[in-house]
Amino acid sequence: MTFQFLEEPVLRARDVNVQYGDSVVLENVSLSLQSGTLTALVGANGAGKSTLLHVLKGQLRPSSGSVYCDGDPIETCRERVVLMPQRSRIDWSFPISVRDLVDLGSMNGQAFGCCDREAAMQRVGLADLANRRLDELSGGQQQRALLARSLVQPSRMLLLDEPCAAIDPPSRDQLLLLMRQLADTGHTLLVSSHDWGEALDSYDRVIVVDRSVLADGPPAEVRRSLKGLVNPGNHHCG
Amino acid sequence: MDEIVFWLLPLLMALLVGILCPVMGTLLVTQRRVLQANLISHAVLPGLAVSVAFGFDPAVGGVISGILGSLLAERLQRNSKLNEEAVINTVLAGFLGLGVLLIPLLNLRLDLEALLFGDLLTVGWLDVGRVLVACLAVALLLGTRYRQLVYLGVDPEGAASAGLPVRGLRLAMSAVTAAVIVSAMAAVGVILVIGLLCAPVLPGLRRVRSLRAAMVQAAFVGLALSGGGFLLALPLNLPPGPLIGVACVVLLCPLAGRST
Repeated sequence: MTFQFLEEPVLRARDVNVQYGDSVVLENVSLSLQSGTLTALVGANGAGKSTLLHVLKGQLRPSSGSVYCDGDPIETCRERVVLMPQRSRIDWSFPISVRDLVDLGSMNGQAFGCCDREAAMQRVGLADLANRRLDELSGGQQQRALLARSLVQPSRMLLLDEPCAAIDPPSRDQLLLLMRQLADTGHTLLVSSHDWGEALDSYDRVIVVDRSVLADGPPAEVRRSLKGLVNPGNHHCG
Repeated sequence: MDEIVFWLLPLLMALLVGILCPVMGTLLVTQRRVLQANLISHAVLPGLAVSVAFGFDPAVGGVISGILGSLLAERLQRNSKLNEEAVINTVLAGFLGLGVLLIPLLNLRLDLEALLFGDLLTVGWLDVGRVLVACLAVALLLGTRYRQLVYLGVDPEGAASAGLPVRGLRLAMSAVTAAVIVSAMAAVGVILVIGLLCAPVLPGLRRVRSLRAAMVQAAFVGLALSGGGFLLALPLNLPPGPLIGVACVVLLCPLAGRST
């Protein structure tokens, strides 16, 4: 099953393969993302989600296959795609305020993305906590701070690596609402997740991967097509 | 006049090192590169020995040797995917051993004890000059790369993703670390310098909201530790370097009590 669009994709991967020695991480992965959509990239641990995001960002060169952003090879336009890393990759004890973290998004004198620093903090609801240290924030607030930094970067194509991991359900819902608002205002978001629960319905589209693409389409359709393969009760956001 | 210089020069050296080491140490602690700094502090020895043997300034050889040690550890770790801590400590031991071997092999008359543990009371203007050069190197690094270093510290993956020269920044940090360690050698020695790089950073690190503020706070603590240690060592007739090293540990004890 594939998801058909008529519009030219913002980001497109064609026959991407990633292999480390004998270990195949991604096999013939092809997908395309349309502007202003919120897409979930779902799969178990080790299914290749993070690897795929790094390939789509142009940070990891695939063994074979290619990635294009607005029709250009990703190697020539990496700055057009923002990758928001997993929470575990950040040193939350680093002495830095929310405002200064968000400000790092405009590194190298790049032009602001959709908004400047203050507007980005406002947009994610952290303006009142701008002077707080990162380790004084809750998990959900930390994710929103990272998202605000992504908004300052000069790109509307956002790849989010498990932003819902290890945060409580209300924070997750808040984050999903925020991502929906961003998609509605023209951002394109690809969000990796373990979540097979109701949260999937918040997305326009779901791509299920396990080395290769197993299913691709609207949430309800993907659930139907994979019925029997997975037990939704065993999977949670995180 | 000579008597004043006898007192003032070591005191000036202690104060300068007391500021310089914690400022650099703040960068190393927040970038999680203390282990690399410890490696560099030991890896300077072979370069020092070779420089003395061939009549160069020992500081230059020490810096080069320190950088080489750091690069070797990084290369071994990257190529073999071996445990980072194990690789660093092995290279550290290897360079220290090489330094100790070179002294008799090159027929050198070096006071190994002074190199390892420092001798503040014998410092000269050249030593003060080396500290000032290291201060300049730190100021240059921070002045030109401050935001990049912050990015690298809080989110190394994001920094690489944003196109920052991560390897270049780490190499620059290694070079400046080596310069700081070699310059502080006369005061506290290459072994004890690690205490002055780390301890003053820790009391305030959890309270400040910027790397800059952490550096300022650490510099004040380092100044008190180093200056206080020196002034206490004189009436007690003890070597200042080791006393400052012990004071660093004493500083941490109340912090451990507070966190339990």
